[in-house]
Amino acid sequence: MNRPPSPNSGPDAGAAASGILSWPSPQTWTELLALLQEEAGDRAFLERAVELWRQVQGADAAALYLDKGGFLEREAAAGQPLPEALESSSVPSRLGSLPLPGGRLLFAPQTLAVADGPSASVAGAIVALLASALKGCRLKQELKEQQFQVNYRVVELEALYDVGLAVTATLDLDRLSEEILLRAASLLDARRGALYILENGRYRCTQTFGGEAADSFSVDNPELRLFLTSGGPAPENLLPGARYLLGTPVEVENGPRGLLAVGDKESRRGVGPFPASDRRTLALFANQAAIALENARLHLEALDKERLEREMQLAAEIQRRILPKGAPQIPGLQLIGWNRPARQVGGDYYDLFHMGEDRVGLVVGDVSGKGIPAALMVSTLHSALRLLLDHNELGPSLLELLNRHIMDSSTPNKFITMVLGELDLRTGVLRYLNAGHNPGLVLRRDGTVEEMGAGGLPLGLLPAARFQAADIFLGPGDLLCLYSDGITECESLDGGEFGMGRLIDLLREHRDKPLTEVLETIQVVTGRFSEGLPQGDDQTVVMARRE
Amino acid sequence: MTESLNVTVDRRDGLAVIYTEGYINNQGGEEIARAAYDLLDGGYRVLLLNLGGTKIVNSIGISILIEIIEKMIEVGGKMGFCCLTPTIEKTFQIMGLAQYAPIYPDESTAVTQLRP
Repeated sequence: MNRPPSPNSGPDAGAAASGILSWPSPQTWTELLALLQEEAGDRAFLERAVELWRQVQGADAAALYLDKGGFLEREAAAGQPLPEALESSSVPSRLGSLPLPGGRLLFAPQTLAVADGPSASVAGAIVALLASALKGCRLKQELKEQQFQVNYRVVELEALYDVGLAVTATLDLDRLSEEILLRAASLLDARRGALYILENGRYRCTQTFGGEAADSFSVDNPELRLFLTSGGPAPENLLPGARYLLGTPVEVENGPRGLLAVGDKESRRGVGPFPASDRRTLALFANQAAIALENARLHLEALDKERLEREMQLAAEIQRRILPKGAPQIPGLQLIGWNRPARQVGGDYYDLFHMGEDRVGLVVGDVSGKGIPAALMVSTLHSALRLLLDHNELGPSLLELLNRHIMDSSTPNKFITMVLGELDLRTGVLRYLNAGHNPGLVLRRDGTVEEMGAGGLPLGLLPAARFQAADIFLGPGDLLCLYSDGITECESLDGGEFGMGRLIDLLREHRDKPLTEVLETIQVVTGRFSEGLPQGDDQTVVMARRE
Repeated sequence: MTESLNVTVDRRDGLAVIYTEGYINNQGGEEIARAAYDLLDGGYRVLLLNLGGTKIVNSIGISILIEIIEKMIEVGGKMGFCCLTPTIEKTFQIMGLAQYAPIYPDESTAVTQLRP
């Protein structure tokens, strides 16, 4: 420790008179020995004794050093300044050196004025006292260091424990990564460090400490693998500039999650390599860190899933609002519509609406794909169709406008099939357009069936697509059925398809029953057909019957 | 994150506050010791170490802080810490620093308690 030179008194007057350079008086000895008795008088004793020795020996400077593993640290000094600390092997040649158990007395000049005689004997006595005191100092120092090490082991254990708990304190992966790296560097007295997380076959650097680190490494990097498993040389760019590196994988049960590297172990004299015990400590620490990181990752995944679930619920609610809540009540017409998406939200669409006093509109559409992207297209289709119907007659030009709008607002691989009809309740004529959708069916009262064939390509495929309108008569008791391919293409366990034939048979068999019963039968029969399988596609049915 | 430590000193009436920012390691500890011993030489006997800007301390840094505490005791002075992260506070408790240099939650409390 850095100590200022003791401002001790000069040579005793009696000694100077006797011709000796300095001769301690009995009072001086008494004071010196009293310091030795004091609980906290060690340092004062050493400084006083060194000063006395310097005076007795006529030295310009003297300092007592404790040897700490080849490194001399000054404990007490007198006279002109001497180094605070130095390597025991590099004591300057201008200094004299007197070895003591556990330390040294350094002095200048190298050749002392008093080499023998009474003063030398007195000096020898002081040196003996110094040696004894130095031994005491050394023992106290060792005890202090041992206590320090014991306490620091507790700090290490606490750190291991705390990192395991850290996931409860923070769910932020970045903050957790920083915490892990800081604690690792702190525990191992490292000057540098980096934490990497494994992503898509590469270790990606997420935190650095004390300097730069390589951005990423392949998990198959042979040099890195050797470094982590058997302590081979680290890849040059892992912690550029660091001389001594230590690394360990961060692993969970099902494999690596990352790696933790630290560099340049500090001591009071600079930096050096990490001892073997540090490798074990780092590995233990990495185990705890891995659990914390994995827990945080899983927690974030769960949060993401929960958020996605909430978004899906919201989307489903929006879609439910898009679809009609019920069929409009129209005298002389039975009308029903039903939709069941395969997922929370779907790509099927239907609508039933008044088009003036004596006309009713019917739509069934199917957006390619499923889930959120398809649901967004359904929303686009609904808005655009309603707007266009407000200002356009139902006919080819309406579908052409709708087609261009769908082209502009969808990705290239998206398209919509749709059948759109307008039933004149006075005449029973249904004018319809079919853009690539499954043909609608009309079950006549006599059991015959007419298909409403396609009149154009699906919407969103070609900008210049043309469409054709057609008319079909719906007589009293005739049953109109529009549906999506989720009905006719639903599959059975053995891979068979429900098909349009089964649908026609079913409609024919139940064509006189109330529409709610016909619909229920379709649901039950298709459900039974696909029993044991999840619903493969969105299902939609719209039916109308003139009374 | 940087490894270097910035030390600033605020000298007040009868008390000096040392602010740290960065890693208290060997170099950082020596910076603090230098500032502390300069203050002692300047006659200050009450020191407060505000570690609000420090997230990490290693064993070398701790040993230097212990030396500063010992020096303060030797000259009959007082020393305290404030604004420690929970991790550093726990470390100081375990290492025994808090026994000789009290830890305060904030600077104003520390100044009130330490001021002669």
